[in-house]
Amino acid sequence: MADYYQEMGWRELEDGEQPNHLLHMARFLIDCGLYEDNFTGEWPRLPPPAAKEAVNNLKEITIEDEFDKNCPICLKKFHMNDKAKEMPCQHLFHEKCIIPWLNQTNSCPFCRYELPTDDEGYEAFKKEKKRAEQRKEDLENLHNSMFS
Amino acid sequence: MANIAAKRIKREFKEVMKSEEVAGGDIKLELVNDCWTELQGEIAGPPDTPYEGGTFLLEIKVPETYPFNPPKIRFMTKIWHPNVSSATGAICLDILKDQWAAALTLRTVLLSIQALLSAAEPNDPQDAVVAKQYRENPQLFNMTARHWTNIYAGGPTSVWEFNQKVQRLLDMGIDEHQARVALSTYDWELERATEQLFC
Ligand SMILES: [Zn+2]
Ligand SMILES: [Zn+2]
Repeated sequence: MADYYQEMGWRELEDGEQPNHLLHMARFLIDCGLYEDNFTGEWPRLPPPAAKEAVNNLKEITIEDEFDKNCPICLKKFHMNDKAKEMPCQHLFHEKCIIPWLNQTNSCPFCRYELPTDDEGYEAFKKEKKRAEQRKEDLENLHNSMFS
Repeated sequence: MANIAAKRIKREFKEVMKSEEVAGGDIKLELVNDCWTELQGEIAGPPDTPYEGGTFLLEIKVPETYPFNPPKIRFMTKIWHPNVSSATGAICLDILKDQWAAALTLRTVLLSIQALLSAAEPNDPQDAVVAKQYRENPQLFNMTARHWTNIYAGGPTSVWEFNQKVQRLLDMGIDEHQARVALSTYDWELERATEQLFC
């Protein structure tokens, strides 16, 4: 039994030790082939449209003073009392400019801040990407704690 | 052309004309037709690259759906670069494809293409032959790119040895550009280039 554990890189739990669920999950994903080591994090095409709800919930604001800012889509200057839609990243756009863009893809055209989407595949991909990054960070931390 | 596209291009055109890059001679933009659907860009080869001293012309086509879709841009000046097709001038650059964002402008795109000349992305090639040479024989790649810059973009460095080899093939009745492509492709080995041209 001990040999099998060793071969798999496993060990028996100490008294009172809880299994590491994340580790088990990672092993499970690796076994299923879902969790490739070379996960490159590239979505092969333009990400899908922003979620309807996220678009509907965008804040509408009224420009209150004359400031030197353009709508990044039509490049027209905002004037006092103009209405504008504000993205969570605080970038401002005309409604008629930002809506067609978000119906096409989910990110701020200025800084690429991402709104959620209604596309399950893309949301799963994003989670996987985040996990891959987290895992890389964990490995680095582990490496650093072992070799420094 | 859709109203928003034409209006935006006009604003961008003004922006480019006022920019310091135009004043400094880094980039240029000209109108090709009156309906603002086609423009011609120009970028200067960046210093400390094989493209230094060359002037590169770009064809810019503005789609109806601009700025929600990227402009279509290709090199009109022939160039030897891993991310540009040496045959068609097609450019492999993420912001012209799936990384396009509506806030990017002709000015930022021209500057990105200029930056691509300084830092190639050989792992995402447009021209596999050029990319292979770039990886496996960087010195020869540099000389070849410099030679193309000299011949097609008015660059200052004439490569005597390469000119001689092209002349040899010209003497055999081969078209000049075809000769240059064959020699560049076969690492300037006259024999292999000739074989390929006559096979
Ligand atoms: Zn606008
Ligand atoms: Zn933003």
